[in-house]
Amino acid sequence: PGQRRVGSEVGAAAAPRYEVVVIGGGHAGTEAAAAAARGGARTLLLTHKISTIGEMSCNPSFGGIGKGHLMREVDALDGLCGRVCDRSGVHYKVLNRCKGPAVWGLRAQIDRGLYKEHMQKEILNTPLLTVHEASVEDLLLTEPEPDHSGKCQVTGVVLGDGSTVHAGSVILTTGTFLRGMVLIGLETHPAGRLGDQPAIGLAQTLEKLGFAVGRLKTGTPPRLAKDTIDFSGLQERAADNPPVPFSFLSEAVWIKPEDQLLCYLTRTTLKAQEIIHDNLHLNNHIRETTRGPRYCPSLESKVLRFPNREHQVWLEPEGLESNVIYPQGVSMTLPPELQEQVIRSIPGLERAKILQPGYGVQYDFLDPRQLTASLESRLVQRLFFAGQINGTTGYEEAAAQGVIAGINACLRVHGKPPFIVSRTEGYIGVLIDDLTTLGTSEPYRMFTSRVEFRMSLRPDNADARLTHRGFEEAGCVSQQRYEQAVKMRAALEVGIATLKSLQFSISKWSRLVPEVPISSSRRLPLSAFDVLRYPEANMELLARAVPEPLGKLAQWRQLAERLKIEAAYEWCVENQQQEIEEVRRDEALRLPEDLDYFAIDASLSSEVREKLDSNRPQTIGALSRIPGITPAAIINLLRFVKTYHQKAERLKALPQTDKYLPEKAASQRQISAKSSEEKQEYL
Amino acid sequence: GDTIFAVSSGHGRCGVAVIRTSGPGSRGALQSLTGRPALPPPRVLALRRIRDPATGEPLDRGLVVWFQGPQSFTGEDCAELHVHGGPAVVSGVLRALGSLPGLRPAEPGEFTRRAFRRGKLDLTAAEGLGDLIRAETEAQRRQALRQMEGELGRLYQRWSDTLTQALAHLEAYIDFSEDDNVEEEVLSQGEQGGAALPHLCSSYRDSWSLHAVDATVRALEQEIGSHLQDGRRGELLRGGVRAVIAGPPNVGKSSLLNLLCQRPAAIVSPVAGTTRDVVEVALNVGGYPLVLSDTAGLRDATDPIEQEGVSRARDRLREADLVLAVLDAAAVPTEPAGLGAALGSLQPPPTTPCILVLNKADLLKGQGGTLRAACAQGHPLPPVTLLSCKTGEGLDRLLALLARELAQLCGDPLSGSPSLTQSRHSLHLRQCAAALAWYGREHRSDLGLAAERLRLARRHLGSITGHVSTEDVLDIIFRDFCVGK
Repeated sequence: PGQRRVGSEVGAAAAPRYEVVVIGGGHAGTEAAAAAARGGARTLLLTHKISTIGEMSCNPSFGGIGKGHLMREVDALDGLCGRVCDRSGVHYKVLNRCKGPAVWGLRAQIDRGLYKEHMQKEILNTPLLTVHEASVEDLLLTEPEPDHSGKCQVTGVVLGDGSTVHAGSVILTTGTFLRGMVLIGLETHPAGRLGDQPAIGLAQTLEKLGFAVGRLKTGTPPRLAKDTIDFSGLQERAADNPPVPFSFLSEAVWIKPEDQLLCYLTRTTLKAQEIIHDNLHLNNHIRETTRGPRYCPSLESKVLRFPNREHQVWLEPEGLESNVIYPQGVSMTLPPELQEQVIRSIPGLERAKILQPGYGVQYDFLDPRQLTASLESRLVQRLFFAGQINGTTGYEEAAAQGVIAGINACLRVHGKPPFIVSRTEGYIGVLIDDLTTLGTSEPYRMFTSRVEFRMSLRPDNADARLTHRGFEEAGCVSQQRYEQAVKMRAALEVGIATLKSLQFSISKWSRLVPEVPISSSRRLPLSAFDVLRYPEANMELLARAVPEPLGKLAQWRQLAERLKIEAAYEWCVENQQQEIEEVRRDEALRLPEDLDYFAIDASLSSEVREKLDSNRPQTIGALSRIPGITPAAIINLLRFVKTYHQKAERLKALPQTDKYLPEKAASQRQISAKSSEEKQEYL
Repeated sequence: GDTIFAVSSGHGRCGVAVIRTSGPGSRGALQSLTGRPALPPPRVLALRRIRDPATGEPLDRGLVVWFQGPQSFTGEDCAELHVHGGPAVVSGVLRALGSLPGLRPAEPGEFTRRAFRRGKLDLTAAEGLGDLIRAETEAQRRQALRQMEGELGRLYQRWSDTLTQALAHLEAYIDFSEDDNVEEEVLSQGEQGGAALPHLCSSYRDSWSLHAVDATVRALEQEIGSHLQDGRRGELLRGGVRAVIAGPPNVGKSSLLNLLCQRPAAIVSPVAGTTRDVVEVALNVGGYPLVLSDTAGLRDATDPIEQEGVSRARDRLREADLVLAVLDAAAVPTEPAGLGAALGSLQPPPTTPCILVLNKADLLKGQGGTLRAACAQGHPLPPVTLLSCKTGEGLDRLLALLARELAQLCGDPLSGSPSLTQSRHSLHLRQCAAALAWYGREHRSDLGLAAERLRLARRHLGSITGHVSTEDVLDIIFRDFCVGK
């Protein structure tokens, strides 16, 4: 492998040509390929095996706190995973129900088989999208386009059989396959996941091109036979009734609420700890120093770090017809016979049979600070990266990057400006900004606390935030979804206006809705919107009290729920508006891409300069989020950017000698005031 | 950036003037002006001949100091030239500096601004420095010095840290408590790793309850509340206590003003109603700053000009921090109740501290003892003192009383927690406290909203110390500095 020039290829003209080529058929790859095709690009998806498209290789669930937000946003951009989950879930449950709708975590146990089936159906029936089974060994490269940064550009891929495919842009979503290594006990063998070959040629190509890579590890628990588990003494967890769908397009999920499956909770005992301690010498994965996820650690690391306690184990069904149980919380890499001993020390699992042992995976990831916010690499033009290869963990994080990479690969080919989701617009924006600005030293997971504008970026309003932009700027949203979002937006506007114009005195409201404890400190009349803000109020209650005009607003269930949330958060969203504007302003202040931080004339410590040089923030906004960058450094650079073009002019205005005299301080002040005005204008 | 220079000492003719430069060109400037490539050792005074680098003409002989960054006031390379303070010398040196490439005159406050940018000061310390330069009395100086040394900043920073910690707990509870993937271990791991959740404390390891956060927030709300309720001590000391002399016409109010400021600032005459407008003088009493206003005598005037004067006097009285109520000693009742009634007829604001001055004691002729006895009877009267503006008798006692009241109003700037010195601070603190109060109301119904209140509260604290500041706020703060500091 190495750099091959298009011009030197024999028979290059005969090679097939696509606008976008996606390598990998996991959660990032499927979303990327589908998004590029929805946007109108002739797209090719290359995967080792078509039968593994849509494989959920780890936990049998989707969503969660923060992750549910990502799924709603992927759905708002017409992505696939939310829709597919609404057709394949077996246990839907919203987490954080009592903590407020901004932090609700939509989540579901998914039937693996159904998910794969529906995902493959979607992918294989997407217009403009072709799927081929092939391994990719190398990239075709050529001279860079002069108007973009980068030392070369990708023009296609070389397949395992030596043939080539030409591409306008290429998206790499190879997950853990770059130098992937599966570990069970002392055994290691190269594989991206159990049973699949790793991608070694591609890893070498990326290294030769000068991409910085790091190494991460992750793991998965053994799978258990359901009919060998005694559930009788275990704690049950029931699903929601009615289930809340992931997709804005779904009125309801496919399964009848009462047909949903249960999950069970059990806990490890000290016996498990003993076995793990006695056998550490048989456990390569745990002894090595590669960074693993702190958020779902292996049982071994839990036991080592927090000895002498019970650790919870969720027993989750893998599907309606499946005899497989996924024991969430006990991923491990002990030799298989010892895994069996550990499992059997857990209450309820005394006779459990292991169907497939747990294993660890170590893999290369690409330092995502080498990517722009559109997920295009800065080193190689038109080459995009998405998913676990960028250092993230989780299906949802992968899917979110996939959609963005797919949209941008398509826009790039069509010569359109990139589609960037700002931190102020979505969790997707936070995810990508964090990755591309800060990088990561452990598998990156989405949390709500990473999001500055959590009150505005809620699961309920993802469509209002992204669907319109997706339709208008990216062309990746169907007409049907767009029209639905437009309709909802109009209905919300009318609803809020109606509620705000309906005003009564406090005493009248107290008579109409005695359930709501309205505080009497205000003498002014209250609007229905103000009343709706109280935790005790909802649209149903108000509609019963004032059927005209509120009755029809309460009939549309989704609308009624969203009006309630809008009322509760109005204060907060308004309050954040100023802050959001500040962030947007900072994001608009772009730092030149080729800025030499060691040479620029701003008072910065050498430590800060080094940090800036390695992080290469794209905007002042991104700069301000790099840890260790002091407020003073931010202001210095802010000033630097502001005066970047203006400096020469200021030097031109040569000072007259006599104005240095203290007596002339007044005139000097006027001059300085004038120059600061100019600064304002420039901004 | 650029290298800036300015006169840092006072302007006008003086013995020594200090001219200061800051920036990368300081080294070259010092070399050019002294005509020697070798700099004196850092932070050591050296005697040098100072020449105009263009003509080589000697300008002066003076002391120079070289401060190599970051060990300087601004954190940049700095130089100081201590020259003779004549205008020709100073302007000659400034002109010479201005002719060097890359050097330009400093804007107001620019040295301090650079020090802030280099992380040498936080905003409250920078404000303290500004106050120190402007301090005119002892107590003002003590307060400003304390603030400049970062005490106030540290107090706010501690609150901000506390809040950050509480917020981190809350965030952890929101993100982790219900997610199946995550057990409570994550929290203590965050504490060790420090990357994702830097501020988690051990109390969380064994408990998911939010009691710790609630208690922290409540305690902080109270602490900020009591800091705010210090009777504006710091602000009074910084801006001066506004004392108003009030009383009926012709009791000697203007004479009292003139006596206190030791010059005829107000026109005095035996005619009642001489003072029509408010006359104001600034004084230093016992180290505390006092802004004393003389007002028109309070009576039902018929003359429209005097009516306006009386109405202004009443306005002043309402806004006063301290009232000096003046009555005619010879004309007041000699028992406490009568005195109280006479004072009451002036309608001083009920909560404002007051000193009752019985003037014209020289006219009493022996009744003084009775009055003094009446005042000592413990009737709920403000402190009373007999005074003769004519003879000066009783002035010492009045000054002592004044100093005591001022000390009470301004507080001891060296004891207790540092005082709030700026209305900018109290504005943000009030908003911070309000956000914390909202947290208490909301955390049971919507934790997301409650967490938002904590985020907002922290933002307000950060705005005070400049850790969450914008260029606009900085402009306002640095605007008040004079050139050269």
